[in-house]
Amino acid sequence: MIKITDLEKFYRTEEVETIALNKLSIEVKTGEFVAIMGPSGCGKSTLLNIIGLLDDPDGGSYIFNDTEVAHFNERKRADLRKHNIGFVFQSFNLIDELTVFENVELPLIYTGVAAADRVKRVEEVLDKMQIMHRRNHYPQQLSGGQQQRVAIARAVVNKPKLILADEPTGNLDSSNGNEVMELLTDLNEQGTTIVMVTHSEHDARYSHRIIRLLDGHTVMENIMI
Amino acid sequence: MFKNYLKIAWRNLLKNKGFTFINVSGLTIGMASAALILFWINHEVGYDQFHEKKDRLYTMYNKAVFDGQLWCWNTTPKIMAKTLRDYPQVEEATHTTNCFFLFNVGEKKLNVSGMFTDSGFLKMFTFPALKGNPNTALNDIYSIVVTQKLAKKLFGTEDALGKTIRLDSVDNFRVTAVLKDIPDNSRFKFEYLLPWQYMKKIGQDDEYWGNNSVQTYALLKAGVTEAAANKQIKDITRSHSDQKETDVFLHPIKKWRLYSKFENGINTGGRITTIRVFGVIAIFILVIACINFMNLSTARSEKRAKEVGIRKVSGAPRGFLIGQFLAESIMISLIAGILALIIVYVSLPAFNQLTEKELFIPYADPYFWLAFFGFVILTGVIAGSYPAFYLSSFNPVKVLKGTFKAANALVTPRKALVVFQFMIAIGLIICTIIIKNQLKHAQDRDTGYKKDNLVYTFISGEIDKHYKLIREELISSGAAVSVTKTSAPITQGWSDSWGYDWQGKDPNAKIDLNVFNVDGDFTKTMGLKIVAGRDIDVKNFPTDTSAVLLNEASVKTMGFKDPIGQIITQDGGNRKWTVVGVVKDFILQSPYEPVKGMIIQGPRMWFNVIHYKLNPANTTSKNLKLAEAVFKKYNPDYPFDYKFIDEDYATKFADEQRTGTLATLFAGLTIFISCLGLFGLATYMAQNRVKEIGVRKVLGASVGRITALLSADFLKLVIISFAIAAPLAWYFMKEYWLNTYTYRIDISIWVFIISGLLTIAIALLTISFQTIKAAIANPVKSLRSE
Repeated sequence: MIKITDLEKFYRTEEVETIALNKLSIEVKTGEFVAIMGPSGCGKSTLLNIIGLLDDPDGGSYIFNDTEVAHFNERKRADLRKHNIGFVFQSFNLIDELTVFENVELPLIYTGVAAADRVKRVEEVLDKMQIMHRRNHYPQQLSGGQQQRVAIARAVVNKPKLILADEPTGNLDSSNGNEVMELLTDLNEQGTTIVMVTHSEHDARYSHRIIRLLDGHTVMENIMI
Repeated sequence: MFKNYLKIAWRNLLKNKGFTFINVSGLTIGMASAALILFWINHEVGYDQFHEKKDRLYTMYNKAVFDGQLWCWNTTPKIMAKTLRDYPQVEEATHTTNCFFLFNVGEKKLNVSGMFTDSGFLKMFTFPALKGNPNTALNDIYSIVVTQKLAKKLFGTEDALGKTIRLDSVDNFRVTAVLKDIPDNSRFKFEYLLPWQYMKKIGQDDEYWGNNSVQTYALLKAGVTEAAANKQIKDITRSHSDQKETDVFLHPIKKWRLYSKFENGINTGGRITTIRVFGVIAIFILVIACINFMNLSTARSEKRAKEVGIRKVSGAPRGFLIGQFLAESIMISLIAGILALIIVYVSLPAFNQLTEKELFIPYADPYFWLAFFGFVILTGVIAGSYPAFYLSSFNPVKVLKGTFKAANALVTPRKALVVFQFMIAIGLIICTIIIKNQLKHAQDRDTGYKKDNLVYTFISGEIDKHYKLIREELISSGAAVSVTKTSAPITQGWSDSWGYDWQGKDPNAKIDLNVFNVDGDFTKTMGLKIVAGRDIDVKNFPTDTSAVLLNEASVKTMGFKDPIGQIITQDGGNRKWTVVGVVKDFILQSPYEPVKGMIIQGPRMWFNVIHYKLNPANTTSKNLKLAEAVFKKYNPDYPFDYKFIDEDYATKFADEQRTGTLATLFAGLTIFISCLGLFGLATYMAQNRVKEIGVRKVLGASVGRITALLSADFLKLVIISFAIAAPLAWYFMKEYWLNTYTYRIDISIWVFIISGLLTIAIALLTISFQTIKAAIANPVKSLRSE
């Protein structure tokens, strides 16, 4: 599904140039659950952003589903993104002004799903995430675990082929964190490819494979058994 | 999709109440001001445009050279209309002149103003009749056409048609038609029309081509162009009379109101300038209100950034986000629009009083609502476009990872917008002060006569017949100390003539003089100063019926070294006047113009007004009661009307006063809206710099220093605005406003110092609440929250 070769990304300020990704190459196959680990500043998040088509690389190749996307413009990226990729963030990133239902509904609106269908699909996914009873609440009224479940519901409502999770348990206690990991594992078992950035060895153990980064390149890959 | 836009827009408005309040109130005031101005402009532009045949209607102008200048004026000979009808290009012609009669119906007595005209008038102009046939209504010499308003005043709810009205206790007239009330934006303002034949009967008509005293109107045949008709009628006066220097031309109805100014024979505009100035002010006020929205929306972008990021990550294309933000601004604009409509509704009576108009909100007119929603959407789009493009351009990675920080609260486009706002506000303040100064300058000008306790009454009915007795009794009763009879009130010039000759005059020069007729005690009653010779005094000098007084300006114009005893002739020497005295110049007409040459003739003819100086020993009310008794005794059929000269004189400043009041109003609103925005910006700036302020305080900065630091940013902007606004306002006021007055002020440096300091003070006051609050906050809290 994802084939990245010699990927480069630099950050420039007026005085210094920081290399975030240095000729990095990885591959993720359809149906895999991959964890990306590494110390702060190793380029994990940059990589995730590029995989998620939120950011563009400065060099190298990125083939997503057999298409070279490294040089896509923003509109093309956005189009590809909204049909194929769901995001889960550490800080949930729900819109405070919208209810649970409306937050989850958002991606369906942007992909142009009809209103009746939207209700059905949002209810389906809320049910699956076991937060149906909270559908009319606002994010601030929910616990962290519940908020992340809403965020995951939002990420999967469009039935994406790929979910990118950026430290999904980082703001959660361990029991809520485990619940979230179970949810992701379920999704993966149902066929969704998952790429997750994490600091937690515990969470990483849910994955099939761990890619360890240091200073912008791969240092090690562990296959989980 | 759209529902989602509105939903989040609505919740955002509710959540950020302060922001919403500032935006909505700013936009409301901006829109209400703009709407009032637009109503006014619409009214002005619609002047005289309700006539069905407006494309073919014209008024006649004369054009001739005086003192080397080509002058245009629209009073014409009475014979003009009749002569015009013989021209093949002209379908119909008519003429009008104002008249004033005492109306008697039963016990009711009313002084009413109307017009003499003929049956052509109602055929040419659209003044629909409720009753009667307007085409034939003026055919009979004793017929009268009244407006609905007058009919109601005279007859109440009874049908006025066919009723009899007695005019001046002399003749009876039958009402032959009742017209719908005259629209407020009509050049013709009359309550009744009388047939021209009656004017002829009472000896006020003449066929003299040299007497320009009435307005003449022409309806051209369909297909005849203005240019073609002008070519034919240009020589009408020359070919019908011995007036060989006067050209005639047509002035179309669409230019009557707004393009009535002629300079050296060329139509150079007129009220259209005022319309344009106020149109620009309306746009400015609205734009300033829109700028508030732009600035506040972008200043609080950090708060919206996360939302933008999530939406983008969820697949929202940029276009959708732009749509969403525009929907939000249009929603704000709609709320403001509705509130503005309410404000307009509430303030319209006061605005009408100020502008002396009868503006109203045309609720029933679908075009009004079309314009209203168009206005709302336009405002929303103007206000929302910049924020929409700005906010929708955020990079989702940055905003979601928290690396996004809105640059310092005052980034460049926002600075430019604030500078623009204050530039306009300061400019308007400067203009306002200059207008007020000029007004005061003219009001303080010495009139040359004493206005206090000076009263006049128009001569009507029996007054002229009993003038001597009235005069004696006004004095003997103690009501007045001095009485004089004149041809016009001293506040108005009713007559001027270039028909005088004197020794040493260039025979080719046409020199126009103001003409005034007086009898005895003129200078005493008015409090004029005699600089040479004596007053006209028929009692002691019987030959003074042919004596004249000159003012100083006349003496100068005529070039007399020793004016007393000089002979001034009229009618080619048929009439001779002897100069017996010279009075100090006094203001007869415009207080903004130099005093024109004037000839004050002894008592021969044509008196219209009695001036009397009230007795300073009595109270005014007692004097007036005594005077009323005298007038009632000799003129019992007429109500006792009087006017105070000082009040009359004050009306000369009405236009400038109105301009001054409007300028003050709009300058005030502009500065208010600008400060509203400044307040909002200061709020966000204080929030954004909380950490910086905390660090500075921990490092030992005092509250005063921090307040100064925060204020300095804004102060800089205001000072830049001032630097731009001051020269622009100075140039504009000097070249385009003050230049229209001959008697005018020099713009003093103090105008700028005061307006600059005033604006800085207001701006500092506005932001002080936020800056001081930020400066005194406990740094421990702000630093801990990181």
